Amino acid sequence: MIDFKNIEIKYGDFIAIKDLNLSVNEGEFFTFLGPSGCGKTTILRALVGFINPSRGQIVVNGKDITHEAVENRAIGMVFQSYALFPTMTVYENIAFGLKVKKLPKEEVRRKVYEVAKKIEINEMQLERNVAELSGGQQQRVALARAIVLEPNILCLDEPLSNLDAKLRVGLRGELKRLQRDLGITTLYVTHDQEEALTLSDRIAVFNNGFIEQVGTPYEIYNYSASEFVCDFIGDINCLHGGMIRAVNEQQHCGLDEHKEAFIRIERFHQTPERGSVKLTGVVKDYEYNGVLTKYNVEVLGQTVKYIRMNDGSAFREPETIIDLYMNPQDIMQFS
Amino acid sequence: MQRIKIGGKGEKVRLGGLLLRLVLIWLIVAFVIYPNANLLISVFYKKGEFSTEVFGKVIHSARAVKSLKNSFILAVSMVFTVNLVGTLIVLFTEYWEIKGAKLLKMGYMTSLVYSGVVLVTGYKFIYGANGILTRLLRMVMPGLDANWFTGFPAVIFIMTFACTSNHAVFLTNAVQGLDYHVIEAAKNMGASGRKIFFKVVLPTLKPTFFAITILTFLTGLGAMSAPLIVGGPDFQTINPMIITFAKSPYSREVAALLAVLLGLATILLLAILTKVEKGGNYVSVSKTKAKLTKQKISNPVANVLAHVVAYLLFFIYMAPVCLIVLYSFSDSLAIKSGNISFSNLSLENYSALFTRAGAFRPYLISFCYSLAAAVLVSVIAIAVARIVHKSKSKFNLFFEYGVLIPWLLPSTLIALGLMVTYDMPRLIMGNQVLIGTVVLLLLAYVIVKLPFSFRMIKAAFYSIEGSLEEAAKCMGAGTLYTMVRVVIPVIMPVVLSVIVLNFNNLLADYDLTVFLYHPLYQPLGVVIKAASDETATANAQAMAFVYSVILMAISGVALFLTQGDGVKTLKKRFKRAR
Repeated sequence: MIDFKNIEIKYGDFIAIKDLNLSVNEGEFFTFLGPSGCGKTTILRALVGFINPSRGQIVVNGKDITHEAVENRAIGMVFQSYALFPTMTVYENIAFGLKVKKLPKEEVRRKVYEVAKKIEINEMQLERNVAELSGGQQQRVALARAIVLEPNILCLDEPLSNLDAKLRVGLRGELKRLQRDLGITTLYVTHDQEEALTLSDRIAVFNNGFIEQVGTPYEIYNYSASEFVCDFIGDINCLHGGMIRAVNEQQHCGLDEHKEAFIRIERFHQTPERGSVKLTGVVKDYEYNGVLTKYNVEVLGQTVKYIRMNDGSAFREPETIIDLYMNPQDIMQFS
Repeated sequence: MQRIKIGGKGEKVRLGGLLLRLVLIWLIVAFVIYPNANLLISVFYKKGEFSTEVFGKVIHSARAVKSLKNSFILAVSMVFTVNLVGTLIVLFTEYWEIKGAKLLKMGYMTSLVYSGVVLVTGYKFIYGANGILTRLLRMVMPGLDANWFTGFPAVIFIMTFACTSNHAVFLTNAVQGLDYHVIEAAKNMGASGRKIFFKVVLPTLKPTFFAITILTFLTGLGAMSAPLIVGGPDFQTINPMIITFAKSPYSREVAALLAVLLGLATILLLAILTKVEKGGNYVSVSKTKAKLTKQKISNPVANVLAHVVAYLLFFIYMAPVCLIVLYSFSDSLAIKSGNISFSNLSLENYSALFTRAGAFRPYLISFCYSLAAAVLVSVIAIAVARIVHKSKSKFNLFFEYGVLIPWLLPSTLIALGLMVTYDMPRLIMGNQVLIGTVVLLLLAYVIVKLPFSFRMIKAAFYSIEGSLEEAAKCMGAGTLYTMVRVVIPVIMPVVLSVIVLNFNNLLADYDLTVFLYHPLYQPLGVVIKAASDETATANAQAMAFVYSVILMAISGVALFLTQGDGVKTLKKRFKRAR
C-alpha cells in the first residue's frame, strides 16, 4: 500500500531522516512512535506532501507520489492543533474539501451529515463556530473533516495530545473503532507509548531519524530489538555486573556480565516460579498510586524497581528485607 | 501554471507571483527609493559635480537657521512638558485613587479623537484674539494683548496637550500591565507608597518612557500645524519653513536640505530607540499576575492637590472640544465676535454641509482620497506581507525594507521628493508628469501609510497557525483558494482595523496634503487650516467647526471599533437584542 524507499530528508545541512525503508499494509493502523525530534512527524509530512525528500521515493498503491502536489494526493490529515478554520462553522469546516471538489450542494450536505453522525456531532453543533466547541469536540470535527473526503490514507499527527488524560483514553477507543469500521489505512504519530500499544496494528519506533524496530505492539514490548526500544517502551530495570553474575550463578544462563541487561519491572515477583532466580533486597522507598505500589529496592548494591498490585495488604516499609524472583528468560541483552 | 525558480534553495514561484513581485518592485523603486534619492541628488549635485553650496545657503539664511534652532528648542521643551502632563494623566486615571477618574479619562482621551490641524485650530479659536478665554482674561486683565496666545509659549502649550496621546495609549497599557503582586511584595517588605512608586513602579515603565520620549522629540522636531497657526513670525520651525521655501524654485533646495536634516534626525533617534528596546528585561517574571489596584494618596494635602491638578488638566483638555462643538451650532456673527448665547445656536451650519455643494466638497474629496488610499495601502501591504511571510529568499528583504523606508522619513521629505522628481517626465513613470494631477496626493498617502499597514498586517500573517493552510491544501484547495477562503478571513479583522485607522488618520491630514493637493480639489485639512487664518470669512470658520465635530465623531467611532472591545461589545448587545 505505502512504501517508503530509501528516504532521506534534510533541513539545511541537518539530516532529519536517514535512508528510511518502510512498508505499510492496506487497512493497517500503523504508528510512528518516538521521542520529540526523532523524525516521526517529518516522515508523515513527507507522505502528505508538505516536505520534499532530498532522496528516495514514496510509493502509494504502486504510484510514485514523491513529487506530487499536496492537493492531488488524496491523503487526509488531522493536525496536532486540529487546524480548524476559525472563521467558519463546524459545517463549513467539514464541507470545505467537498466544496473544493465542487460537489453538488445536496451531496455536500448529505456527506457532511453522514460523517457528523458517525463521529457523533449533532445538528446544533454543526451550526456553531468551531471556537465555541470543547477540545474533544474540536478533535472530532478535525477527524470528520479529514474522513469526509474518503481519503485512501489518513494521517494523524498527535491528535490526542491536547486533551486531558480521561478524554484522551475515551477518544482513543472511538478512534480505533472508527478506523476499523472505515477500513482506512491510518498512519498515527505519537510519543505516547501507551497510545501506540493500545491503538496500533504495527508500530515503527523512531530514534534520531532512524527506525529502530517495526513490529506488532506485542513484539515491540516483549521482544524489543534494541536498548533504545527497550528503554523507551514501558518501565525497565537495568541490571549491571554483580546482579547478572548472581543470575548466572543460579541458573547458568550464559548472560554476558560485561554488558548491561534489561528486565521489565513487572517481571519481578515475590513468589518463586519454576526456573526463577531469587534475589534478596532492602526496600528503600515506594510510590503508591491506588492500583499499584512501585517499590525501589536495593539489591546487591543496585536499585531496582518492583511493582505490586494493590491486594489490600500492608505496604513494605523502608528497610524491610524482601525476596524478589525473576525468570532469566525475561532478561534482554543487546549486541 | 508555470513555476519559476527564484531566490532561496529550491524555492519556486508561479508566474502570477513573479508578476506581482515585479509590480511591487516598481512601486517601491518609483515611489519610495527614486524620489528620495533624486531629492538628495538635486541637493548635493550641481552640474554633474558634488556640491555643498546648499549648506552655505542654509547657513546664510537667518530664517532657516532660526527654524532649525526653534525646532530643537521645541523638541527639547516638549520632552519635559509632554512627559510631565502625560505621566500625570495616566497616574490620575490608572494608578492613584482619584474621584471621577472615569470622567477624567474621557477628557484626557480627547487628544486621541482630534489632532493636527483640527486641534490647533480649536485651541486658536479659544485662546486666539476673539477666543472666549482671551475675552475672559481681558475682563480680568484689561491690559492684556488680544494676541497674547502666540509664539513659543502658545506652541509649546498646544503641543503639550496635543501630544499626550502616546502616553494615553502606551503608558496606560504599561501601567495596566503592572503586576500588583510586585507592589504588594514591596508593601510587605515595609516600603512606603513613595518608595514603591519611585523604586518599583517607575523603573518598570522605563522602556515605555524612553520610547514615548523619542516619539515626542520627533514630533517636536517635525511640528507643523501649531507653529504654522500660532507660532507667529518669531517662532517658525523646520516644517513650516520647508513649506515656505518649497514655494519658490530658487529656495526649493534649501527646503530639501531642511527636510533631509529632519530625516537624518529621525533615522538617528529611531536607531537609538531600537537599540535601547533590545536591552534589559522589564517584564514581570510572575507566573500568576495580579490586576493593579489603585493606590490611595495617604497625605491629605497631596491628595487635594492631586485632585485640583487632575481637574485643571481635564478643563484644559475639554475646553476646546466643548467650544468647538458649541461653535459648530453658532452663527457666523457669534463666531466672529466670540459672543455665544443660546439664542444664536442652530443646526444651520450642519444643514449647509449637506445642502451646499461647496461646503460638502472638501469632505467628499478627503473622504475619497482617504478611503482609496486606506484600501490601496492595505492591498499592497497584504501582498508584501504574504511574500515576506511565505518566502525564505533573502531577496525578499528588499520588499520588507522597501516598504519600511517611509517610516524613517518625515512626510515633508516624502512630499518634497515626489514634487522634485515628478515635476518632469520620467522614464520610470512612462514619461508622465505627476505634478498637477490628482493621483500624486493619493500616492503620497499610500507611501506614508505603508510601514504602519505592513507591520500590522505582517504581524497578522505571522499569527496565523501554519497548519491552517496545510489543512486546506490537504483537502485539495489551491493556493489562491486557500488565500481567499482561509487566510484572508482570518486576517480580515486586522486589515479592517488598518483601513479604519488609516482612513481616520488621513481624513484631515495637513502636513503632507499642503504640498501635493490639487488646487481644484482642496481636502479638509487645507480648508480647516485656511479657516483659522485671520482673513478667513466667518462662514468658512463656522464650516470648519462643523468639519471638526464630524471628524471627531468619525475618529471616536474608528477608535471604538478598532481599539479595545468595541466590536465585541456591539456584538454582545446585538445578540442580547435578538
